[in-house]
Amino acid sequence: MTHFRLETRRLLEITLQGERVMTRAGAMVAYDGQMKFEKSILAGEGLFGALKRRVGGEGFDLMTTSGSGRVYVAQNAAEILLVPLNNDRIFIESNSVLAFDDGMRSDTVFAGLRGASSGQGLFTTTIEGTGNVAAFTDGTALSLEVTPDEPLFVDPDAFVGYTGNVRQEFVFDVNWKTLVGQSSGESYQLKFSGGGVVYIQPSERR
Amino acid sequence: MLLVRLRNEEVFAKRGAMIAYTGFVEFAPSSSGSEGMRGAAMRSVTGERMTLMSARGTGEVLYAFYGMHVTMISLRGETFYAESESVLAYDGRLRSGTEFLGQGGAGGLIRGAATGSGLFTTTLEGMGELAIVSEGGAIALDVTPQRPIFADPQAYVGHRGQIHSTLVTDVGWKTFVGQSSGESYQLKFTGQGTVYIQAAERGGNR
Amino acid sequence: MTFNARTLPSNDNVNPYSFCVDVASEMFIQKGKMIAYYGSLRFEAISAGPYDALIRQSFNSPLYANDFVVVTGHGKLILGDRGYNISSFDLEDGNLTVRSPNMLGFDPSLICQESTVPGYLTLLGTGKFLASSNGEVHFLEPPVRVDEDALLGWADMPSPSYRYNYSYMRGKFGMVRGMVSNRTTGEERQLDFTGQGTVLIQSSEAALGGAADLEEVIARSSSLGQNELQQLLGNIQQRLQNR
Repeated sequence: MTHFRLETRRLLEITLQGERVMTRAGAMVAYDGQMKFEKSILAGEGLFGALKRRVGGEGFDLMTTSGSGRVYVAQNAAEILLVPLNNDRIFIESNSVLAFDDGMRSDTVFAGLRGASSGQGLFTTTIEGTGNVAAFTDGTALSLEVTPDEPLFVDPDAFVGYTGNVRQEFVFDVNWKTLVGQSSGESYQLKFSGGGVVYIQPSERR
Repeated sequence: MLLVRLRNEEVFAKRGAMIAYTGFVEFAPSSSGSEGMRGAAMRSVTGERMTLMSARGTGEVLYAFYGMHVTMISLRGETFYAESESVLAYDGRLRSGTEFLGQGGAGGLIRGAATGSGLFTTTLEGMGELAIVSEGGAIALDVTPQRPIFADPQAYVGHRGQIHSTLVTDVGWKTFVGQSSGESYQLKFTGQGTVYIQAAERGGNR
Repeated sequence: MTFNARTLPSNDNVNPYSFCVDVASEMFIQKGKMIAYYGSLRFEAISAGPYDALIRQSFNSPLYANDFVVVTGHGKLILGDRGYNISSFDLEDGNLTVRSPNMLGFDPSLICQESTVPGYLTLLGTGKFLASSNGEVHFLEPPVRVDEDALLGWADMPSPSYRYNYSYMRGKFGMVRGMVSNRTTGEERQLDFTGQGTVLIQSSEAALGGAADLEEVIARSSSLGQNELQQLLGNIQQRLQNR
C-alpha cells in the first residue's frame, strides 16, 4: 500500500512502489524516482461527476500519480490532516481534498448552498474503503467527537469533514443570520448529531 | 522571525522585512546588495529592481516577512543559489551575485517565467549566514547522481552543491487545463547537493 | 487527538490556532470568529436588548460595536481567526491597546474603548482577553522602534510617535530623496516607543481590508495636502479600474 507521511505539518510525502495515488492537481511540489502524472476525472465517477463540480464553480481537478518513488504534495502552505480509513467512509468538503489512495471509491455530491447571498455551493466528496486520505486545512485541524447526547454546531466555513454515523443539518437561526456578518454572508450553522468525528479548521475562510 | 545582532556590522535584507530594532542602526536602500555595480546594471536592464535594504550599526534588528517561515543557512565558503524573492537577509560579509537565467537561451527565459520570479537567481558565497523565507517552511531534499529530484518551479526556493538544473516538460503534466503558468514545466536537479522546496507555489494555486 | 465536550480544555488553547472558552457567563466575542461549539449558546448583537447595562459599562465604542457580539449560555465555544495564532492574556488593573481586528474576545469586567491611534482598541481594568496574531506574539521592551505593519499592541505605556529615518531620507547626495515607492516600509518610518511597559509585535499583518483598515486610511489622509489627495485619488481610481 502507499505510504503517507507528514514530512512537516504542511508537506506530505507519499511513497509509491509501482502504485497509484490521487492528488489534487497542482499540489505536487517535488518528486524523485519514476513518476507519471495524468489528469483524472474523479475516479469512479465519470463525466457526470465532473460536470457537477464545474457547474458549482467549486471545481477542482485531480491527478492520478503513478510510479515508484516519493512525491511531495502541499497546498499553499496549508496544514495537512491525515485520516487513515479502515473500511470506513469519510465526507470531506470537496475543496479541502489533497490526496487519497487510488482503489477507494469516491463520489462528489452537492450538499446545499453556502449562503443565500453568495450563491456558492457546498460540495462534499465521499471517499470509501481502506487506505490513506489527506485533506488540507487553514490552521491546525481539530477533530471533535459527536455523541448522541452532545451534538456539535459548526461554522460552515470552518467545516472540513466527518466520519462515522453522523447526521448533518442546516440550522437557520435568525439570530445568527444577523450576527455572523462575514462578507460571505453566512446565514446558517451546521449541526452534527449521532456518533462520529467531525474535522474543523480554525479559520472562517478558505 | 529572525533576530540579527549587529556590532558595527552590516546586514542586507529584503525591503519591508524589518519589523523592529533597538540601538543605533541606520537603514538605507541598497540597489545592489554587495554585488557591485554590474549586478545593479544587469537588473536595471531588465527592469527588475533589487529590493534590498542595508542595516548598519550596533544594535538588534528583528526581521520577518508576512508570517513566512524562516530557514537559516550557514555557508562555509560555498555558494548558495536562491530565488531572489526568497532571500530574507544575509551577512554583509557574503558576496552576492546574480545569475542571469536568460543566458540559457529560450530555456532560461522560460524558466524564469515558470518560477514566477523573474530572470534572476541570487547567489551568495563566502563565510557567513543567510536566512531564506518560504511559505510553510522549506524542506531540504538531497540530490545524488543516482537519484535526481524533480520540482515544481514555483516551489523551488534554493539549492547548494554541485547541482545542474534543467527545465523539463512532461507531456502528461501539460494536459492539465486551467493550471497556473508554471505547471507545465518541472525543474530537474541532477548532481550532488541539496535542493530546498517550500510547501506552496509562488503566486498561489487555488 | 479527538476532543469532545468534556475533554476540550476550559479557557485554554486547543492548539496554537484555536482557543476553547468555557462559557458560563457573558463574554464579548468578535463576530465571525466562532468555529464550533457544544452546548446551548446564544449570540446577541451589541445594541439595545437585555444586555444593555452590561454593554454600557464595558463596551464603550460605537465604531466597533458592530464587530462584536455578546455570547451567553452554557457550552464549550471554540474560537479561531484566519488560522492565526491565538493567545490569551490576563490584565490586572492594566491598560493595554491592541489592533482591533486582532482582538478576539474579552471579559465584561474589562472596559473597552477606542484608542486615539486609529485602528486600535484599549482595554482597561482586570480580566482576561484573547488576541490573534500572525505567528506567535513577541514581547519587546522599550526603547524600541517598530514597523507599523508588525505592531500588535502595547501595554502600560504611552502611545508611540512616528520616527523617520533621517539618513534614509537624506540619501547619498545630501538631498532629500523622494519615496522609492508609494508605500512606506518599516525602514522609512517606524513607531517609536519609550517609557516603561511592553510592546507586542507579530510577524506582520496580512492584508486585511475591512473597517479597521479603512478607518486608518481615512484618519491618515487628514494630514494630506491638495496635491497628495489628488495623487491618492488617482491611485484609488486606478485600483477600482483594475478590479
